Amino acid sequence: MAEKLLEIKNLKQYFNQGKPNEVRAVDDISFDIYKGETLGLVGESGCGKSTTGRSIIRLYNATAGEVKFDGVNVHGKKSKSDLKIFNRKMQMIFQDPYASLNPRMKVMDIIAEGLDIHGLTKSAKERKDRVHELLETVGLNKEHANRYPHEFSGGQRQRLGIARALAVDPEFIIADEPISALDVSIQAQVVNLLKELQEEKGLTYLFIAHDLSMVKYISDRIGVMYFGKLVELAPAEELYNNPLHPYTQSLLSAIPLPDPNYERTRVRKSYDPASHNYKDGEEIAMREVTPGHFVFCSEREFEALKLTSAARV
Amino acid sequence: MEKILEVKDLQLSFHTFAGEVQAIRGVNFDLLKGETLAIVGESGSGKSVTTKAIMRLLPESSSEFKSGEILFNGKDLTKLSDKEMQKIRGKDISMIFQDPMTSLNPTMTIGRQITEPLLKHQKVGKTQAKKVAIDLLRMVGMPKPELRIKQYPHQFSGGQRQRIVIAIALACNPQILIADEPTTALDVTIQAQILELMKDLQKKIDTSIIFITHDLGVVANVADRVAVMYGGRIVEMGTVDEIFYNPQHPYTWGLLSSMPSLDTAEEKLYAIPGTPPDLLDPPKGDAFALRSEYALAIDLEQAPPVFKVSDTHFAATWLLHPDAPEVDPPLSIIERMKKFPGSRYYEGVAR
Repeated sequence: MAEKLLEIKNLKQYFNQGKPNEVRAVDDISFDIYKGETLGLVGESGCGKSTTGRSIIRLYNATAGEVKFDGVNVHGKKSKSDLKIFNRKMQMIFQDPYASLNPRMKVMDIIAEGLDIHGLTKSAKERKDRVHELLETVGLNKEHANRYPHEFSGGQRQRLGIARALAVDPEFIIADEPISALDVSIQAQVVNLLKELQEEKGLTYLFIAHDLSMVKYISDRIGVMYFGKLVELAPAEELYNNPLHPYTQSLLSAIPLPDPNYERTRVRKSYDPASHNYKDGEEIAMREVTPGHFVFCSEREFEALKLTSAARV
Repeated sequence: MEKILEVKDLQLSFHTFAGEVQAIRGVNFDLLKGETLAIVGESGSGKSVTTKAIMRLLPESSSEFKSGEILFNGKDLTKLSDKEMQKIRGKDISMIFQDPMTSLNPTMTIGRQITEPLLKHQKVGKTQAKKVAIDLLRMVGMPKPELRIKQYPHQFSGGQRQRIVIAIALACNPQILIADEPTTALDVTIQAQILELMKDLQKKIDTSIIFITHDLGVVANVADRVAVMYGGRIVEMGTVDEIFYNPQHPYTWGLLSSMPSLDTAEEKLYAIPGTPPDLLDPPKGDAFALRSEYALAIDLEQAPPVFKVSDTHFAATWLLHPDAPEVDPPLSIIERMKKFPGSRYYEGVAR
């Protein structure tokens, strides 16, 4: 088995805790991310997938649970220098390429901000060369360094966001819906770029999205979230070919595919959480149905799922 | 089938400080009664501008109709006065916008927003209008409409707001409904519900729909016919089967190949290289030539005319000229063409 880069254990993120309007955005989820893989996280808006990403990178202080990066807990008290070391290893690419770049800074300074903070370059020339190199890595050219963000298209801006994330040589990148705001033809460019960079630099990704066909394309494993809970986690192919949780099934049946014949016959399933008929005292947890395929279910459902999976093989 | 809308050689420009942006450069299409026509293309291809021109929603100070006409029931919409247009807009032709979060007025109850077109266009009183509004909300699947018409937009979720926008658009039983990316801002599950709703309502009131989107999955789901736009022109148009299983234009090939499919695991996703053309200074020949590996020498010199593939299928590419060399489209497109009777790659038994 590959090495674990990130271990997320019983992570909880509650907002307005203890008040009547308490929101359990992330409610007790656990999963691991292995070195060099891409873990996709899908679910509808409000299910807590972005919050999960933001809690992992410590943009929020987790309510409970722990996030271990290379064996060290991300949350909890940290000295400034420890935090700095950690911040270099983990970077984020944001959803909105229009809002995530400071409009009053030049591209040069946007990308070099991380370099400056961590003191990674010694001279002004080295700084400039590094930025030029980064721009070329993401498919832009060095003339772009002296421009402002408004001079770029959406796809180009997302490339700038990627260059900024790469500047400090991170090991792990959280991409929070990096392509949702882009055109189809440009989406493919950005996704290909992310894949190339992963091969080149051995990066690990957490790829958050609601576009399931893209997620399947880029991910090795996929986790499905529903109302703050992780309901299914499986290798990408397995999840699409053999979805076990009824919510995953409904989500997959809702994707329109660019194939009119398929569309004419597609039947959409809807998901009703009441259909589980959980009794009081039943323990619902992530259980491994087939190797690597986890489903959030009760003991009773687990036995039934194991039987059907065995029959399928 | 009866034509309800005809757009003939429409050309439209915007005047900006940088110069004249030729946003639409000769667009021709018809809309038939009761059909759904999908317009696809990337941002800046002119798809939204075309529909806004039909609705006459473009600012008069900066936009200019260069030529062409938009015939709706025999009337040329480009020549109508503002007053005359107001009688058509929201009554005979209505529109659903992309973003349900910003297309409703936050300071008005949704009841008032739904009754607004009714009071304006139909001779009904306030109580009658309120009844119709409740019926409309029920029709678009809103629970407890009697209570909810008193609420404000912020009290609804994104999917619910889009249902309200649809209810407003349908209030006067329009003959044409223009939907500009109505589901782009929504989740797949909600998107599926909204698309089903639109199809149901279309059957009930026999509206023609112009559906703008860049999601080809959605197109395959809703459209009867498809127009592919690029650089201010329609580069290919045909029935949904012709566009998906027998595409002819290299740009359509690129679009279809850049969507990952769920059943195959390609190594690398096809990405159309480069960026869209600058319409301040549109290319002389085929606007797509610079991004296309299939470009011929003539593509750089002269814009291709529209070639007829079948009675319903047209494409503007020199590749269809009798003298053009025969080229093989990308592999994923050949896979698609194998399913289309009449294509040279067809692998089924001819009927």
